[in-house]
Amino acid sequence: MQAYFSLIGFGPQGWGAQLAWATLMTLSVSVAAFATGTVFGVAGAWAKLSGGPVLRGLADAYTTVLRGIPDLLVIYLFYFGGSALLTRLGTLMGHDGFLGLNGFVVGMLAIGVVSGAYQTEVMRAAYLAIPRGEIEAARAVGMGRALMLRRIVAPRGLRIALPGLGNVWQQVLKESALISVTGMVELLRQIHIAAGSTRLPFDFYATGAALFLLLTTITSLLFRGAERRTQRHERAR
Amino acid sequence: MDLAFLGETLLRLASAIPTTLELAFVSVSIGLALALLLALLRASSVIGAACVRAYVFVFRGSPLLVQIFLIYYGLGQFDAVRESFLWPFLRRPWWCAILALALNTAAYGSEIIRGGLAAVPAGSIEAGRVAGMSRFTLYRRIVLPLALRQALPAYGSEIIIMVKSTSLASIITITELTGTARQIVSDSFRAIEVFVCAGLIYLAINFVLTRAVLLLERTLTPHARGVPR
Amino acid sequence: MTDVVTLRDLHKSFGPLKVLDGISLTARAGETIAIIGASGSGKSTMLRCIPLLEVPERGDITIGDETIRMNTARGGRAPADSAQVNRLRGQLGFVFQSFNLWAHMTVLENVIEAPVHVHKRPRNEVVDEAMALLEKVGLAEKCEAYPAHLSGGQQQRAAIARALAMRPKALLFDEPTSALDPELVGEVLGVIKGLAEEGRTMLIVTHEMGFAAEVASRAIFLHAGRIEEEGSPRQIFAEPTSDRTRQFIRRYLERA
Repeated sequence: MQAYFSLIGFGPQGWGAQLAWATLMTLSVSVAAFATGTVFGVAGAWAKLSGGPVLRGLADAYTTVLRGIPDLLVIYLFYFGGSALLTRLGTLMGHDGFLGLNGFVVGMLAIGVVSGAYQTEVMRAAYLAIPRGEIEAARAVGMGRALMLRRIVAPRGLRIALPGLGNVWQQVLKESALISVTGMVELLRQIHIAAGSTRLPFDFYATGAALFLLLTTITSLLFRGAERRTQRHERAR
Repeated sequence: MDLAFLGETLLRLASAIPTTLELAFVSVSIGLALALLLALLRASSVIGAACVRAYVFVFRGSPLLVQIFLIYYGLGQFDAVRESFLWPFLRRPWWCAILALALNTAAYGSEIIRGGLAAVPAGSIEAGRVAGMSRFTLYRRIVLPLALRQALPAYGSEIIIMVKSTSLASIITITELTGTARQIVSDSFRAIEVFVCAGLIYLAINFVLTRAVLLLERTLTPHARGVPR
Repeated sequence: MTDVVTLRDLHKSFGPLKVLDGISLTARAGETIAIIGASGSGKSTMLRCIPLLEVPERGDITIGDETIRMNTARGGRAPADSAQVNRLRGQLGFVFQSFNLWAHMTVLENVIEAPVHVHKRPRNEVVDEAMALLEKVGLAEKCEAYPAHLSGGQQQRAAIARALAMRPKALLFDEPTSALDPELVGEVLGVIKGLAEEGRTMLIVTHEMGFAAEVASRAIFLHAGRIEEEGSPRQIFAEPTSDRTRQFIRRYLERA
């Protein structure tokens, strides 16, 4: 037991510092990907709800495709495809040789567009779940479109969407482990390295699983807290 | 556009479809049986419920890829495992992938079935009890048929997710669809065309599966269909 | 006359709330007993005790000449022999307020389910009998329909056919028309009235006083978990001796 703690601790033999840094990387790439997804989600939901037939069709294709293919494939497409494009572009500009994309950027974009597809559906459903009467009431007091969006639709919709967004976040956090295939040193990659160099794969992968569990648990508590705060008005007095 | 290359790529990718489907089918079958057991265990006793909750928490809260690595690389660390009769299975990437996928989907599946069980109307159960049904008959004739029908749509989504998850098996050297795509890319350096082709195949598989589940739903739940009175 | 259902000194509480406070009652063969009383008086709980949907804390339940054996364990009182309970339940027909048809089965499948899978009778014979029962409740042409596609009145008539298919010694009705739209109440009451005329043994918890007065051979007024008054319908409705019964009847008439 003591051997295990010195292994993952911060001592001279320990991997603690690397693991802490890698955990931070996992968190930051997840936050970046989720935020990217929110941009796509807002755009997608808007297109589905109030776009014309072309925009609606595009948004439908976007959510169908991105939810129908493996995330790993999306990451490969962005990583290898992006690098191929970049290299071709580089040759045109007179740069010789391979140009690779940064793993963080790839992960942020790839997981971002996937999570955007799910966020699109969550936000669309949330908008549709706002009681029509409340929107009519806003119209009745003379609110314009923008004001209504800002004062009524956005806050009301966000409250309804929070549980769904919480699920998407958990998904993003877990999918971020796939970015390790690009070689970017996030939590799983660091675990992989440590497991290989110490020849203690079980200890390290179990530690990795535990750290991910810690992250998902803490952040889900944060989401739950946010839900409770924003839904105070729903509770019976 | 290089049609000859695209055609050849599609053919090579198509030859990997059976591997992907087999991974999905075997792990979903094992996972479903396990999920049913877990859901019933969860409903049976306080201790059983606590164990199942812990299981679900661990497998839903950590990445599938970590679970695959833990089984594929991690278990071999122990002599006891390497000397056991299971080692011929556990040293093979194929069985490790199946095991991880099945354990993972069982966690999600048990929650889906639990939702189905919770949605069985209390009145339907009471009607079974007053008819003199034993616990076993009640479960077999009333509770499980109603719960599984209720759970079917959500379980359909879980199957789609599992088809997508089989792509992770490529990371431990299995040449299913995604693994084959990677091989073609490393031979041809034409990433975009190849991965787009692979994506189209996944979409087609999932489209067919979605339709199949919908059809199953229709045949199993004629009572839910709106019929004009 | 033979005793079909006998309750002796039933007591039942939900938490601090005492619902049954010593109920004794015997239903003899061919009797139609109407059980009336305000909501919360314990009438539904009493009826639900008969097939042991509720387990009384004290008292005995006898179906025919067989008394349900009970155990008092640490966790409370429970039936000693679940096989016996299931067997005796199989001799009763219970009709719920909310029908409780099984949604995944057609009307006919609902009716034959227990005879085939509990009584283990041959399916062919049961189907013939079930069709005759559906004919009797006026639903023969709906036998292939699913419950979701029927009106409340049709569902309740199907549920009555399902109860009859048990070949029950007694039929128990728990407010059979309370969940129905007013215009559908009549068709269900008509079916129950027909059964009373056949001389079946029935216990009916109901709020339909006119119906109770018309079909019952005996009426029982429950108040606060006790039998406040019992007698012929004429006596209970026209000349009640208890003030509480009189009050209850008067309030009912004022509302109607």
